[in-house]
Amino acid sequence: MKMEKQILHPNNPSVQPEKAPFRFSKEGIFILLCLAPAIVLVSVFVYYPIIKGSVMAFQNYTLFDLMNIHFIGLDNFKAVISSPNFATVVKNSVYWVFISLFFQLVLGFALALSMRKHFKGRGIYQGLVFFPWAMSGFLIGLIWRWMFNGQFGVINDLLLKTGLIDAPIAFLAEAKWAMASVIIANIWYGVAFFAIMILAALQSIPDELYEAAEIDGANKLHQLFYITLPYILPTLFITVLLRVIWILNFPDIIYSMTNGGPAGATHILSTYLIDKVMFEQNYGQASAVGLIIVVILLSFMVFFTKASKFEKKGDF
Amino acid sequence: MTNAGIWLRTLKVVFLSIFLAITIFPLYWIIITSFKMQKDIFSLPIQYWPKEFTLDNYIQIFKISHFQTYIFNSFLVSIVASFIVLIISMLGGYVLARFKFKGKGQVMGGFLITQIVPIFIGMAPLYMMMSKMQLVNHLFSLMLIYTVMLIPFCTIIMVGFFQRIPASLEEAAMIDGCSRISALFKVIVPVMLPGIMATLIFAFVQCWNELIMAVMFIDEESVKTIPVAMNSFIKKYDIEWGAMSAGTVLSVIPTMILFAFCQKYLVNGLTQGAVKG
Amino acid sequence: MRSRKKYFALFFSICLLLSIVVGCSKESSTKSNGNGKDSDGKVTLKMIESLSSPSRTALLNELIDKFEAANPKIKVELISPPFNGADQKITQMLMAKEALDVVEVREFNAKQFAMNGFIENLKPYTEKWKNYDSLNDIAKKRANWVDNTPYYIPNGLYERVLFYRTDWFKEAGLEVPKTWDEFYEAAKKLTNPSKNRYGYSFRGGPTGWDYALITMWAYNGKEVNPDNAFYLENGKTLFSSAKSLEALNFYKKVYKEVSPPDSINWGYPEMVQGFVSGSTAMLIQDAEVIDAAKEKLKDGTWATAPLPIGPSGVAQQVVSGPGWGMTAYSKHKKEAWKLIEFLSDPEQSNEYTKRSSVIPVHQNAFDDEFYKTGYFKPYGDMNAQPEIFLDVTRPIDFKGWGAWQSAADQDLQAFLSGNTSAKDLLKKWDQYWTKEKAENKK
Repeated sequence: MKMEKQILHPNNPSVQPEKAPFRFSKEGIFILLCLAPAIVLVSVFVYYPIIKGSVMAFQNYTLFDLMNIHFIGLDNFKAVISSPNFATVVKNSVYWVFISLFFQLVLGFALALSMRKHFKGRGIYQGLVFFPWAMSGFLIGLIWRWMFNGQFGVINDLLLKTGLIDAPIAFLAEAKWAMASVIIANIWYGVAFFAIMILAALQSIPDELYEAAEIDGANKLHQLFYITLPYILPTLFITVLLRVIWILNFPDIIYSMTNGGPAGATHILSTYLIDKVMFEQNYGQASAVGLIIVVILLSFMVFFTKASKFEKKGDF
Repeated sequence: MTNAGIWLRTLKVVFLSIFLAITIFPLYWIIITSFKMQKDIFSLPIQYWPKEFTLDNYIQIFKISHFQTYIFNSFLVSIVASFIVLIISMLGGYVLARFKFKGKGQVMGGFLITQIVPIFIGMAPLYMMMSKMQLVNHLFSLMLIYTVMLIPFCTIIMVGFFQRIPASLEEAAMIDGCSRISALFKVIVPVMLPGIMATLIFAFVQCWNELIMAVMFIDEESVKTIPVAMNSFIKKYDIEWGAMSAGTVLSVIPTMILFAFCQKYLVNGLTQGAVKG
Repeated sequence: MRSRKKYFALFFSICLLLSIVVGCSKESSTKSNGNGKDSDGKVTLKMIESLSSPSRTALLNELIDKFEAANPKIKVELISPPFNGADQKITQMLMAKEALDVVEVREFNAKQFAMNGFIENLKPYTEKWKNYDSLNDIAKKRANWVDNTPYYIPNGLYERVLFYRTDWFKEAGLEVPKTWDEFYEAAKKLTNPSKNRYGYSFRGGPTGWDYALITMWAYNGKEVNPDNAFYLENGKTLFSSAKSLEALNFYKKVYKEVSPPDSINWGYPEMVQGFVSGSTAMLIQDAEVIDAAKEKLKDGTWATAPLPIGPSGVAQQVVSGPGWGMTAYSKHKKEAWKLIEFLSDPEQSNEYTKRSSVIPVHQNAFDDEFYKTGYFKPYGDMNAQPEIFLDVTRPIDFKGWGAWQSAADQDLQAFLSGNTSAKDLLKKWDQYWTKEKAENKK
């Protein structure tokens, strides 16, 4: 349970003054040698392009107008934010992240709880229900795109058969359905991750705790609230935090299901960004969208860690 | 058992069954579609079990494309990248977990920030870089990009694993005359094998499934990975859902096998420490 | 990082890393090296196509094989990115000066490529090329699209006609529609959602705006300036007229009443699939589709007809002619031209246009019986009536073209799904192009 503090407080290094500088020690060289590959690679191939890309956010940098690349201050941000689609994109991103997250969390938690105790065939069961996590978002998008097909889609057929609808719905063609459809696909994909994380946490709860509670006459509900939840809370927090970041930065499902359509009704920030790079080729505005994502996520992280009162000092 | 207990049990069984059905159904559906005749795919009423089974879709996909090449490329990229990631992140994670030194916090922080920043911001400059290095349309570009994309997260995970293992373990080995590195590999690695496996699966799956970068950097037939190939299928053939589903099934099989063998490590590995805390 | 030892360590670890890296890259490197020259002196040309489709790629590869057989010292690698986004990919590769020798250039990016110095002026080559004068007028016009300079040699012409299901029409006792009104009436009668039958394969997805333009042009008729068809003869924009409003409302009616709801997202493959799979009765597309339709539909169940004309009595469209150009930075220009020359040679070119069923670029090709009867006949008929079927030009060399084009699909989708009114849409485009006109005049 040490890690979450560290993860949440990366920028709070407490340098140990009592330790002598290692500058000339053998140990120092060892440390450097081990870290160098990671640091060098990440600096060159992650930080450098990202910083260079971020600079583009302040430039008129589009492939349609290559002769005319120059700094334009905040114009890209203005253009992005004032574009009529942007409000939809932000709204979609909020739906996409929080609705997906809510159902993934609740279902994942329920799944993990149900699987905590060993039952016959649990291994196989686990393998099957966790499998979506190992699939690519792109393929998941394809599969659901086929199932949501307006003419030959199985979902329409099932809904017709059960009498829930009278006529097939063009799920991916109508704005109001399209967003719901991509979110459903995303929930299907993401439950497994929560379940895996929570199950791992549940399994590390000593059984004695429950036995003791049983003897004290605590019912299952009490056990859930007084033993299970407090014990796995740190895992929940870190998982939620990670998922918010990942879900927002996860364009694959939408990319293959609707590619942002119809009429941009299913664009979220990250698909919007990719669209700006790959199709509009407006690198400047794309980077502006990217920086907006960074600002949103950073403020979310600060807010979230504050709200969850994880304020103890990290130890490095 | 009390009444409530029975209710709870029943509830659990019902929930687990429904959940299983919902999880499996899309997979079932794509597999079934891949064995249907072209004409049956686009006909009403929908067949929940194909009237006729056919391998046509599979034959077609190998005929119209070099699917075996894509599979090979995907394997090559994923295996190379995930092993390099594993080694680099183990070394980095070990040092970060065991030593206290100046700048350690900054290093961790630097890794963490990469998780927030969408890598797509850097896509255009990265393309220029790869182009200058003559790596566009070269599998090596993907290996490199996947490696760097995964290093930060895997290193952070590794730090967690190492912290769970008492330092006394390798210290004892070092007293016995092992060097630090050999102590690391001889003593610690076996202990944290589940965790290492979990990281490796994670890295492999991420590489195997990555789409956006691959689409950006790869266009030539001979170096396409499965996601790139599937992406051009959907764009070229679109509603050829028969071949599409066959391709989907084929590209899912390797992860399915891997997952069947290794998924127990995932939970166990994570129980051992990892991102858990 | 101040001590020398650490620099050494850093250096050492980078070397270590590179050695791992190089070790791997060797394994995976199955391709030729960067400058395109193998050790045995063989030149490798890289060629990229934009209008890719599986059958076209196969055909091109066949022609390339022929070329390689005739030129054993040259090897050609064809790159075929998926059609949607291919042009963006090509631009990106050109900008990065990726190793490419022959590129497929299209009207709307030709100027941009030429301006940025990406593609080579082919004049020195065409001057010595014996078959240059054998190109037909439209092909020549397209080749000299930018600054009256040949930057590329068209490989085929794309002109739209109406595809329709003769069996369905007969069943319902309908005649082939000649005007947009008749078109709508026929489509309406053939639409039966419960049987999964619709009148028309609507294009609401990528470049759907093209179809909206065709409708607007047909409604505005002769008032449209053919040399810059986003404007009227009176100098105002196409989008300012009341007839355009009428046209757009008609366009929406066609989507809402006689087309599958899904078609708001349909691009090229979907609309063709809709027609050949028997869920739509009519389709407006290039001759290219003739091939696909032949393959999937029985003879006698379908036919082609000229494009419907508008209330004004005319029908305009853009005849497009993509072609092969050469990168300005190619290291093997001589060989690249050889390839372009080979592909553009009447013999190869005519075979290519015939088999990929596009309109040929060489004059003599039309002598072939192939183009006088059957599915290609409407093309002859349309060409014979130039006062009704007009070739028009879009302002693709205007600065704002790219941005408009990428936004237009979304604008239209918003209009079709009821989020914007026709008036607002036209107002937006009118303002945009009025401003563009002022800016491009300078």
